[in-house]
Amino acid sequence: MLRASVTDRLQDTSDDVILLQVAQGNERAMELCITKYGPLVWSIAKRHVQDHSSIEDVVQETFTDLWKSARRYNPDIATESTFVGLLARRRAIDYARRESRRPKLEPLPETESFLEPALESSAALRCQNEDVRSALKELPEETRHIFSLHFDKGMTHPEIVEQTGLPLGTVKTRLRRGLIDLRNTLRRLDSGQPSIPTT
Amino acid sequence: MNEQEILDRFEELEAGRILGDLDSNEIKEWEKLSADPRCKSDLSLELAAAALESEFLGSEETGLSKDLLGKLQEDMAGFVVPEEPQESEDNVIRPANWQTILAAPKTGWAIAALFALLLIAQSFIDKGPQEPKGLTTAEVETTSAKESRDTLISKASDLVKSDFGGLENYGEMSGTVVWSDELQEGYMSLTNLPANNPGTNQYQLWIVDPTRDEKPVDGGVFDIPSGDGTTIIPIRNPLVITDPKAFVITLEQPGGVVVSKQEVVVALAKAS
Repeated sequence: MLRASVTDRLQDTSDDVILLQVAQGNERAMELCITKYGPLVWSIAKRHVQDHSSIEDVVQETFTDLWKSARRYNPDIATESTFVGLLARRRAIDYARRESRRPKLEPLPETESFLEPALESSAALRCQNEDVRSALKELPEETRHIFSLHFDKGMTHPEIVEQTGLPLGTVKTRLRRGLIDLRNTLRRLDSGQPSIPTT
Repeated sequence: MNEQEILDRFEELEAGRILGDLDSNEIKEWEKLSADPRCKSDLSLELAAAALESEFLGSEETGLSKDLLGKLQEDMAGFVVPEEPQESEDNVIRPANWQTILAAPKTGWAIAALFALLLIAQSFIDKGPQEPKGLTTAEVETTSAKESRDTLISKASDLVKSDFGGLENYGEMSGTVVWSDELQEGYMSLTNLPANNPGTNQYQLWIVDPTRDEKPVDGGVFDIPSGDGTTIIPIRNPLVITDPKAFVITLEQPGGVVVSKQEVVVALAKAS
């Protein structure tokens, strides 16, 4: 059976086909990409930087990065939205670091050096939104709460400490451990394995 | 620390790096461990963080301002691959034309419609940066093509072989095409195909591959020299072919075209 044409599929934004066309320099795909992922990139930028001008800078940098990096996108490794989110997050964190908006935290190592592992299938994590929601439900309540404060409210670690009364070390450990557990759960969901009952 | 403890510690530091909360001592520790061949970094934690952040932020509806959209358009322009000139309305391929042209008994309606639809789609989407590649008469006359074809036939484990059928004025021609997806290599063996004058027109091969979700792929422009015998033509596909359903030869202007006007469809081979 004849599958839909690229033009048709570009209109079907549920498929991960936009970046493959962006990689070929397709202008309409780039416009669709901005339309579809612009709000996500804006939201991620807004979480990491605060003033309007800086947010716009991050959005611009992210899309420029996306035009350059689209050919590296592998649909077997991540969904488009996750890939775009990853680039946006990197750009935003880099920008925040440059602007020294987080003086109490040490800077990240240069993220460019971490691009290469993107090509490795061992990193594959083709999680859909429902998978993330399922994985979140498997985390302990206290971890979900800290995740919400950090990822949703955009709180810094000191702000979470102030909000929760937990020691900084505990906040860091729960965030890190929570991220690792979430990744492991997503991998399990990705492979179709059943959930492990918690006691 | 034993090896498992080292790996666990590195993973924790990786998570901290991605979350942006490493302190100076931890950065040094991370740098030391990341140089350890046992500690292999991958993107999975960063992808998980991105997915998590996207999930929390995804419901926020934010429209980009007109000013920002304008800036993005300007930035984008530097990465756009210019489109080939659009065919005029008169030149747009219409299914009815193809049905007429491909009405010969040997042709399959499904393939004709498929090819026509894909060529229509071709006029609406970007053309790749590759231009059709021409073959000189000298190239097709070399015996190396035959040797290369024979080598392909002997070594390819996924060889596809189909017979060409000539259409309309080309009913006398015959030939075969062999193709390997794995090796991305193929050859046509053509007999009784009239010699062309390269200054007037050239033959062009099109490969129909619906799994690509793209237009028929240019398979190269070629010439047929005067004289009897069989000519071996290597397929020159600039794009990867994964599941060819048909091979179609058209006669085009010198140098070939990106969008065929299907004025002269010479032959068709359906892959079995």
